[in-house]
Amino acid sequence: MRWYIPYGNPTYFIWLAVALIPLMIGLLYGRRFRWYQTVVSLFFLILTFGGPNWRTGIALICYFVYQVLLVSAYFHYRRRKDSPNKGWVFVLSVILAIPPLVVVKVTPAIQSGKQSIIGFLGISYITFKVVQTIMETRDGFIKEYHPIIFAQFLLFFPTISSGPIDRYRRFVSDYEAVPAQKDYLDLVQTGVRYIFLGFLYKFVLAYYFGSVLMPQMQFGAMMAHGFSWYIIGYMYTYSMDLFFDFAGYSLFAVGISYFMGIKTPMNFNHPFKSKNIKDFWNRWHMTLSFWFRDYIFMRLVFFMMKHKVFKSRITTANVCYIINMLIMGFWHGETWFYILYGLLHGCALVVNDTWLRYKKKHQDKIPHNKFTELFAIFITFNFVCFTFLIFSGFLNTLFFGPSKF
Amino acid sequence: MKVKKRLFEIFGPILFAALLMFAVFLSPTWIKFSYVSPKVQRNAAASLSPLILKGQLIKRSALENNYVPFFGSSEWSRFDPFHPSVLATKYHRSYRPFLLGARGSQSLTQFFVMQSINQQMKNKKAVFFVSPQWFVPMGEDPNAFSFYYSPLQTTTWIQQEKGSKMDRYAAYRLLQMPSGDSDKIISGTLARIAAGLKPTSFQMLYVNYRHRVLLNEDQIYSRFRIPVNNAKKIADNAAELPKTYHFQQLDKLAGQLGAQHTNSNRFQIGNRFWNRRLKHHVKALKGFQSNMSFLKSPEYGDFQLVLNQFAKDHTNVLFIIPPVNQRWQKYTGLSSEMLKQFDQKITYQLRSQGFNHIDDLSQDGNVNYFMTDTIHPGWRGWLKMDQEINPFLTKKQKAPHYRIDKSFYSKEWQQAGSDFDYDGYRNDGR
Repeated sequence: MRWYIPYGNPTYFIWLAVALIPLMIGLLYGRRFRWYQTVVSLFFLILTFGGPNWRTGIALICYFVYQVLLVSAYFHYRRRKDSPNKGWVFVLSVILAIPPLVVVKVTPAIQSGKQSIIGFLGISYITFKVVQTIMETRDGFIKEYHPIIFAQFLLFFPTISSGPIDRYRRFVSDYEAVPAQKDYLDLVQTGVRYIFLGFLYKFVLAYYFGSVLMPQMQFGAMMAHGFSWYIIGYMYTYSMDLFFDFAGYSLFAVGISYFMGIKTPMNFNHPFKSKNIKDFWNRWHMTLSFWFRDYIFMRLVFFMMKHKVFKSRITTANVCYIINMLIMGFWHGETWFYILYGLLHGCALVVNDTWLRYKKKHQDKIPHNKFTELFAIFITFNFVCFTFLIFSGFLNTLFFGPSKF
Repeated sequence: MKVKKRLFEIFGPILFAALLMFAVFLSPTWIKFSYVSPKVQRNAAASLSPLILKGQLIKRSALENNYVPFFGSSEWSRFDPFHPSVLATKYHRSYRPFLLGARGSQSLTQFFVMQSINQQMKNKKAVFFVSPQWFVPMGEDPNAFSFYYSPLQTTTWIQQEKGSKMDRYAAYRLLQMPSGDSDKIISGTLARIAAGLKPTSFQMLYVNYRHRVLLNEDQIYSRFRIPVNNAKKIADNAAELPKTYHFQQLDKLAGQLGAQHTNSNRFQIGNRFWNRRLKHHVKALKGFQSNMSFLKSPEYGDFQLVLNQFAKDHTNVLFIIPPVNQRWQKYTGLSSEMLKQFDQKITYQLRSQGFNHIDDLSQDGNVNYFMTDTIHPGWRGWLKMDQEINPFLTKKQKAPHYRIDKSFYSKEWQQAGSDFDYDGYRNDGR
């Protein structure tokens, strides 16, 4: 028996192909074999969380039971006809959903890099799903809730380790239905294309940038004392590796979801074509940034407007941008470089909004043409790469790491 | 009907691509495309790249020309004007070193490297640099072994193995490394070989299939991936040498260059190495090697594999035994008595089996500017070596007569310490 990181190597895909064929034949002829889908999901979860990783498997089970109970309890509270829908119950539920993630993120920071024993691959993404479901339950958007289907949603294996982050209502409507034959064939066709594009991204391009070029840059930068051009080289190769690796992974996750008749949302949409930083966050790791937008940024804005914390709407938005991105930074991990990364993006969003307002006011004086657009793309790209350099933590190793004996 | 057509449109290209892939990687025709340009050979010979070590095609084509395998480890990366590759280039020798080995490559790695070039070593010459530091109690580091591990060399060897003591011991050692377990069917095959059994026909079928795929990968790709190219380093170093080869003159120059490059410390350790790796830790390193011993190690058994393979190939080998920088050795407390015993033990293993070409430099650790750092030869060290290497490779040598003694594979020999009775051992051991 061998154990796999999802989509980590070609053998995993052979397993996938074999396991999915019966399910796909069923879907093609209008049936969803739910029990079979559950068995397949369990099998792939065991491939990832079993064997040498069994401890994380135990952590996953405990965490999962806890969250399902929590969401069920909150839904039960909200479903009562005369539900008072108290704010504090809601806040308490959200707060109760988060501590495991906080512990997992904080442990390495206070225990010199040691991983928490309650952690497992993908804990963040499940937490996002839980919080999202609680919030939509509070708002009354989720009218029907079934613990088993919620469990299927949380543990949907194609996306378990790193997203994309689906939404409960969207997932349920796919899961409960069977697509028409023609639509399903279209899904499969797109899925095949995504998976093969993913091969190109992850196993060719990310390999080239991450495993061939990056070590050379790293070595050069480590050997030079202080600043060197290798750091710039590292910046671009790391950015490319990050994109192709993650986008490749996301393509696999979406493609496999399509095979299962679930239209998991896309995660990337040509992010390096972005003309400004807001555009970038609409194209980069989209399910995460939309999650932050909907459940942190928007809620913060509403909260502040309701309580009139700031007079001006602009200040409110700016403060919320910074808080939103800082939380994203903290979510990545409790290190200076993740937090700085979040802060920089928060500030960039503020600067971007300010500039767009200024530009709108002075439309007659500020040119807008193909060239300025290219220039905007150039600036955005380089800014993003620079923040990725910080995000990579390489500067930390380079400047504050142990001396190179 | 329409569904079938759609399905074929969707999955047909994948099936076709898979078929094409099998056709390409199982095709026997790639073997015919074995031309490797002299430039690639030259670059590969001094690249020190693990890819070259693990591959086959490039080594084979270079050794069929005037390249001679120089087996060893990290010393080959110490380029200076007196490095064997530089001297051979500068003075237009009839041979060119093909450097095999880098940091952490030891006897077991070299044994498998030899599997890729056995045909090219038959009745030819080779140079083998034996580092005392290989012979540590744990032997070759499994991680280093994995780093240089080549599945192609393993399948090549399995196809040729005859169940001899050498083959069984190699299988046994390979199984102790994580690499030996990386492929379940191969590891089952190794277990049978180690137990003295023939691989099953299914295992051989699989080995042959893997061999074909790996061989084709090597035939197709190896020419295009020599990442490190030391040609410029060699040319730059050669430029520092005078036009004609005159030993006294060169020795003087070597001393001057050595003095120039080691003026930052009292150990005659190269400045770069000193500043980067030792300067900041020198206090902590005092006496740190006082308990180190190179006498008891599984490496002796692995080394026997190498000797056995040389004997099988009738390769005439010059062994080089380097010294340790004596100033550094004294400072770190490495026992000179132990080093002497190491020299005695390794020389015994060589001579008693008929390996008589030994360039034993173990006494030269105190010669000025002989070493470039703590354990690697430099300037005058390289030059002194050249006094043996050059005549050995350029002049006709008598064919060697090797007498392989299986008892050198034994635990008893590997663990033989300072109180070992060499005379008694030979008589009992047979």
